[in-house]
Amino acid sequence: MAVNVCDTIPEGKKNCTMVTLISREILPVLPNRIKQLITELPADILDQLEEIRLRQGKPLLLSLTRDDVMVTEQGQPTTVAEFGYVVTDKDLMRAVQLISGSSIYAFEEEIKNGFITIKGGHRVGISGKVTTDRGRVKTIKHITSLNIRIAREITGAADRVMPYLINPVTKKFHHTLIISPPRCGKTTLIRDVIRQVSKGIPALDFKGCTVGVVDERSEIAGCYYGVPQKDVGFRTDVLDACPKAEGMMMMIRAMGPQVIATDEIGREQDAAALEEALNAGITVLTTAHGKDWEEIAQRPVLRYIIEQGIFERMVTLGRSKGAGTVEDIIDVSSGKSLMR
Amino acid sequence: MLKLIGACLILTACANFGFTWAGIYEKRPRQIKGLEGALQLLETEILYGATPLPDAMEEVALRCDSEIAGLFRETARELRKMDGSTGGEAWQRALDEFFPVTALNKQDVHILRRLGSSLGISDREDQAKHLKLTKSQLAAAASQAEMNAKKSATVYRYLGVLSGLLLVLVLY
Repeated sequence: MAVNVCDTIPEGKKNCTMVTLISREILPVLPNRIKQLITELPADILDQLEEIRLRQGKPLLLSLTRDDVMVTEQGQPTTVAEFGYVVTDKDLMRAVQLISGSSIYAFEEEIKNGFITIKGGHRVGISGKVTTDRGRVKTIKHITSLNIRIAREITGAADRVMPYLINPVTKKFHHTLIISPPRCGKTTLIRDVIRQVSKGIPALDFKGCTVGVVDERSEIAGCYYGVPQKDVGFRTDVLDACPKAEGMMMMIRAMGPQVIATDEIGREQDAAALEEALNAGITVLTTAHGKDWEEIAQRPVLRYIIEQGIFERMVTLGRSKGAGTVEDIIDVSSGKSLMR
Repeated sequence: MLKLIGACLILTACANFGFTWAGIYEKRPRQIKGLEGALQLLETEILYGATPLPDAMEEVALRCDSEIAGLFRETARELRKMDGSTGGEAWQRALDEFFPVTALNKQDVHILRRLGSSLGISDREDQAKHLKLTKSQLAAAASQAEMNAKKSATVYRYLGVLSGLLLVLVLY
């Protein structure tokens, strides 16, 4: 029984929110010409829009849910590269300036990491000519590619999984690992789980609890100048752009969280920090890249974590019914699927 | 009697004209110096605070010489509109608006315009370099303006009063 979280939102409403989201948060950072082309696109394309890719001298490319599409000079969608509007160096220069609010100097750290988070919590990936200083990336000088990833916030994305993640007797949140290949709605799901855990779920008689989010890649909360742009609940503290292991320790020491949430664990220090959190009696919510748990168990660090029996629930995501399909939820102690 | 009143009027008008003209000459070095100071503030904001440009501009507007605060306030306002224009363009537009109400001449404005094309487009060190360059150019312009002012202001004051007198004598 696989369900798609997007199905929970009425079709008409989804459309209108996506279009307004794009026009309010994405269009202001695009150069005028590209802005105009995207405005003219039909709503059903905008609704599926996941990424806008600007590459110098190459056609403007829009990644949609299933495939990608280019845009002609007249603002019509096309799949023929020759007809597509070609992004110029001026377009890119303007886009970079608009993305940084004409303050590239204020984003030196972000550029070093290869992305800038814009207002609304959307991430813009950057590549181009890198300058190094003693073997470390200093900055990206000539920016030739931009990838604007539209962060979808689907309130209620976790509605279907929450009953499985909360102990019906003790009303405590289970240690949970979300496993998913890239672009399957992992971040969308963890964000909504965080929101619901933080706010509390009256239907499940679950009281909200303090959540500490260590958001190394600024994706979960989408912080813009440290302020979460996504709804992560009002009992949530966010350490933005903070290394996971260190951030978890900081949270444990100072913020007294009942639940710690992070994105994409996999390094050795992460495992140590997770154990530290467990010893402090904190519930852990995290994600890992992968297809299913057998695949994840191939990786030494993750296998170690799983063998320690840290996690009580594993949620796997896939695309069998579109992005965000919950393929399975496993009760780790018994190894049984809870959805079938 | 009427003649006397007329003569007085002519004299004050001409003298006033001369003094205003001299005032403009004296205003220019003062305003250039004010700009220099303001750019120093902007450099501090960018280099040590990494403050985003709109905030940095507002901060400078609050703290710099009130005669030139308008330029920075206007730039911040243009930037906050978020209408797809860059920092450089906002700066140019603010300059267009601001230039006519100042005593600056074309060369001074040219120096400021050149700064606009590099505003906010690079890392902190590079921004500081551009700001330093602009400041040194303004400093040169200021010393030149000061010399001009010393010479011209007196000349224009005398010229105003004397031409008034001359006119009165001719007409009397």
